[in-house]
Amino acid sequence: MKIVVCVKEVLDPDAVDNYVLVGKLEIGQDGKTLTQTSIPRLMNGYDEQAIECALRLRDAGVDCKIHVVSVGTDPTKILQHAVAIGADEVATIPVDTGTVDGYATAALLAGFVKSLGRADLVLCGRQASDGDQGVVPALLGEMLGMPIVTIARAVEMVDGSTVRVTRVTPDGDEIVEVSCPAVITISNELGEPRYPTGMRTMKARKVKPQQVTPAGLDLGESGARPRVTMTRQFVEAIIGRCEFIQGDSPAAAAQELVKRLRADRTIE
Amino acid sequence: MSNSVVVCTWERGRAGVPAGAEETLTLARKLAAAAGLELNWLVAGPAPDRALEIAGKYGVAHLDRIEDVKLADFQPDVCVEALAQYSKQQAPRLMVIPQTFNARLVAPRLAARAGAGVVMNALKLEVEGSAVKVTASAYGGDTRVVYEVTGAESCVVGVLADMLLAEAPEGGASAPAERQVSVDLSAVAERVRVIQKAHFEGPRLEEAQIIVAGGMGLGQKENYHLIEDLAQTLGGMAAASRPVVENGWVDSSRQVGLTGKITRPGLYIAAGISGASQHMVGCSAAKTLVAINRDSNAAVFRYARYGIVGNCLEVLPELIRAVKAR
Repeated sequence: MKIVVCVKEVLDPDAVDNYVLVGKLEIGQDGKTLTQTSIPRLMNGYDEQAIECALRLRDAGVDCKIHVVSVGTDPTKILQHAVAIGADEVATIPVDTGTVDGYATAALLAGFVKSLGRADLVLCGRQASDGDQGVVPALLGEMLGMPIVTIARAVEMVDGSTVRVTRVTPDGDEIVEVSCPAVITISNELGEPRYPTGMRTMKARKVKPQQVTPAGLDLGESGARPRVTMTRQFVEAIIGRCEFIQGDSPAAAAQELVKRLRADRTIE
Repeated sequence: MSNSVVVCTWERGRAGVPAGAEETLTLARKLAAAAGLELNWLVAGPAPDRALEIAGKYGVAHLDRIEDVKLADFQPDVCVEALAQYSKQQAPRLMVIPQTFNARLVAPRLAARAGAGVVMNALKLEVEGSAVKVTASAYGGDTRVVYEVTGAESCVVGVLADMLLAEAPEGGASAPAERQVSVDLSAVAERVRVIQKAHFEGPRLEEAQIIVAGGMGLGQKENYHLIEDLAQTLGGMAAASRPVVENGWVDSSRQVGLTGKITRPGLYIAAGISGASQHMVGCSAAKTLVAINRDSNAAVFRYARYGIVGNCLEVLPELIRAVKAR
């Protein structure tokens, strides 16, 4: 079977968080782009887990070819990483992710999946850690006419054409089954993705992703035209008003805090 | 395209009213007023309690109802089809949805059916000239992004209602007209089969009045019982940061944050939590936030009402003692 995994290159969200916490995140002159070159670029964590999910299906004995595709101007490094951990084919649709929205991204990916002739499973991370929108997989599923199962912690083949998915819901795990082809989004509960061996990493460095131009894709009636445009990005100022509870010892501080909370009637 | 903003809900919610409906109506009403658009509320499926009264409070013009036996319980394919047919008939400028777990799936699917734009995690809706602008949370709450709805299509917006306050306008009440909207759902068959339903009993973090949450400052799994002990002493619930869950110290149902539970208790005690934005998204709406951290520069103190700079392993046992002593 053919498994397509969609991946995105993002700025390391932990590095972004660190810059925000010390009040030093820089936003470019366009008022929206994060410009610090010291922030590493890497594969969106959930997407890496989507590849891991495909690899686990293969480990479980599913005979499959794993295609990894990314929309972006230069995702070569993350695609080489995909090869190093076990992807068979990697492709890039060279469009600047800053110029497209979820709708256009999904249209491009749908065009790519159609160009493969057939896909049994399309796996995506539940959301990208930059925009957090998490809309591309569901848009993609609709555009391809495939059912969509979101927030999976485990995916297994029941038979050649049915998958069983364990979803993480606010009420606990839900188990569903769906016939292929289907789109499934992977959540962090799937667990750690594997590391490539040094040898495989070296070998993967020679891999050049296939370049797929949008012009060559069937983008449907409305094409890959964005519906929404990002115009601004900013860090919201947090007005700190913390009152630090003083005390000579942890016990004194704890007693003082409890006194305050009782006085505010926050606790009984 | 018609000149309407429509709030869409399809679940009665645990309280008989869809979760986040009032907060979403608050946001949608402000936009409708600023942009001169009509505000409507579409209820697909069973009617919420006091729906007309709530609609009136927020100045809703029409309470649109889609009734169909297939909508009795949430079924994604049926729900998306019902909303898509409504969208085709009414062509609203904006469809605004309180962002529940199911809404995160429904909203983008609806957008694809309607050829519409979609923005999730919305916190603010504005109009500038003729353009609608949506401010949404990004980077796990680290940044805000403003999206402008371009093009003539409609746009679907998911609202982070848990982070907003419901605020009915003064003197803005209306007498909403109820409209039955008919759609044909006979051809829809669910493609995803539920083999085992999620089942949850007992108290929920989202509804807790007091929450004590532990982070990596606890040092090791064995110390998490301090969080549980304090929570129990206060009659509250124990929660955790993402790293604690990822390390397997506690079950993921306890995770607070953007990809976990979004809570708004009266009291939230964050112990040994640094204050990563993605965590604070899940607790910054608490009425009183208490932070305990060794590092006086920890970001969590910026959100806190009260702070104790100290080792949470030393402070937590003393807090338990102090609460018990009275």
